Amino acid sequence: MRALIGRPAAFDVTVALLLIAAAAMVPVLVDSRYVLGQITLALFYACIASQWNLVFGFAGIFSLAPLAIFAVGGYATAMLCFFLGWSVWAALLPGALVAVAFSGLVGLACLRLSGVYVALLTLAVTQVMYLLISTDTECFVQVGTVCRQLTGGPGGFSRFGDLGTRELLRGNWMIGNYAIVCAMFVLVMASTWVIVKSPIGLAFRAIRDNPGYAVARGVNRFRVQLLVFGISAFFMGLAGGVYAGHFQVIGPTILQLPTLMFIIAIVVIGGVGTFWGPLVGTIVLVGADELMREAGEFRTLGLGLIIATAIVLMPKGLVGRMRQLFRPRPNRRAPTQVENAK
Amino acid sequence: MNTFYSVLISGLTVGALYAIASIGLSLVWGALGVLNMAHGALLTLGGYVAYAAITGLGLPTGIGVLAAVLAGAVAGGLIYLLVVRNVLRQGMADFEANVMIATVGIAIALENGILLVFGGQPLKQPVTVDGSMTLGPLVLPWQSLIIMVAAVAAMAVIATALARTRMGRAIRATAQNRDAARLMGVAVDRVYLSVLMISGAVAGGCGLLLSSMVQLSPSLGNDPMLKAFIMCVVAGLGTLPGAVLVSFGLALLEAWVQYAFGARWGFPMLLCAVVVVLIWRPGGLMGRVQVRRM
Repeated sequence: MRALIGRPAAFDVTVALLLIAAAAMVPVLVDSRYVLGQITLALFYACIASQWNLVFGFAGIFSLAPLAIFAVGGYATAMLCFFLGWSVWAALLPGALVAVAFSGLVGLACLRLSGVYVALLTLAVTQVMYLLISTDTECFVQVGTVCRQLTGGPGGFSRFGDLGTRELLRGNWMIGNYAIVCAMFVLVMASTWVIVKSPIGLAFRAIRDNPGYAVARGVNRFRVQLLVFGISAFFMGLAGGVYAGHFQVIGPTILQLPTLMFIIAIVVIGGVGTFWGPLVGTIVLVGADELMREAGEFRTLGLGLIIATAIVLMPKGLVGRMRQLFRPRPNRRAPTQVENAK
Repeated sequence: MNTFYSVLISGLTVGALYAIASIGLSLVWGALGVLNMAHGALLTLGGYVAYAAITGLGLPTGIGVLAAVLAGAVAGGLIYLLVVRNVLRQGMADFEANVMIATVGIAIALENGILLVFGGQPLKQPVTVDGSMTLGPLVLPWQSLIIMVAAVAAMAVIATALARTRMGRAIRATAQNRDAARLMGVAVDRVYLSVLMISGAVAGGCGLLLSSMVQLSPSLGNDPMLKAFIMCVVAGLGTLPGAVLVSFGLALLEAWVQYAFGARWGFPMLLCAVVVVLIWRPGGLMGRVQVRRM
């Protein structure tokens, strides 16, 4: 059983409890609404990153569609609220299911592909979504004298409702939203942990490490691929819905390439294929981003350089590097390629 | 009838530009097996270097063109030496993804570096030729003619180089089987460096031509790079003439769709074409398909 779980579950649970305690202390220690808002935003990034880590790190599928799925979840929730008059809470689950259906389509298209082809296809899907939404200018419905496009157009889809914290908590609504987002993040991480440690998680890793051998042992590659797409899409769609409710607007800017690169950088720096990697990466990168905010225009330049150097110097990410430091035992994992440097 | 011809000409011109862009990508992909996501940034770099040389330093046009191509080659070489070689040396199984991510980082850094140095407002490329010639009902702008000739010339030069020269043979050998090439004495490291430098040079020239039609801006190269990727994918890995043919074909299709349905539907149509082709033939239309049935 120990060998099956790998790292003792006690370690993970302890870290999780510590983090939850720290998260609960944050609203007490932090006064500024801006900082709390930034932490909430960072939690969204961490959610998306953890799901992308599930698809790419654990299952080995280089999909670049996480933002598209996130946006589909958010837009679906917002549209359900606006066009059908539901409340945000009621629309969260259906929105997530719409995202699952969308990702199922994407997964089907990617089934026969591998490696960079999947990346290109999913990147193109994200770009097309961005272009179609941001060039949507024809009026779909008239609200009073205001013309609303079907997808909200480049300005974003707004005025559909919120998470309800404003009525309940008045001035402290940000703390309420923060608590909701924290709870969602804990839910997502806990579910991911259960999945990763379960036989499904082992199937993911088998498909990633050696697809031929996995298929020979009876792991159905297509089913696993659709499963990982669906599971990650459910959580990303859910996060998208909560995002729409928190910010009360969802626009095409979430689909832009820099955001995608940020998510990828988070996972890469944290450690691809590790459980805590996305969270570590989020803390490091969002912290670095805030520090570089002073530098103004050099921010994106710095981000690009950080991504490039991190891949070259630390391919296993921070978590991987820490594992190497704290495990004096020789690395038991044999290299997958007999690649000797010239 | 005039609109038919003008759509045809603009489609062919754009197709020529995509063809030049996809030549470089196809080379790198065929030889190294990786996607150079910094290709678009190299395009932008070429355009801006020409602008800086001609407008900023006052050098003649020919030197500006040469400078753009050289800058692309140097940048391509640096990308290989600093990034791609180190990632390949790590010997990890998913090095393609790592190279993609690393080159994306470089692309972001390069694009923002250009933004910082030159500013964000669009600039006019000085290397343009105005005026047009008329061939019966066709009105052919000189600029479009130059671009089309350049595309065909680039493809011809590179195809000849690949087929006839020693370095071309080395590149083809490495593309077919890296370890076998190494065993036969091919200096794979040098081959990779040459491939990236050639691809960078072609990208620099393409950026120069592209910016003569569209204005110079820091994000100039992103869209063409993505479309060139799509065309490489549809054509299939490893066929250079295939990539060029598909570029022209898809660009014409895109021009027609944009004319018929509106500009915003061009790219989604391309995407649908890619999805259909990839589902029907996962190796691309003309690529060497290795179907492993599992």
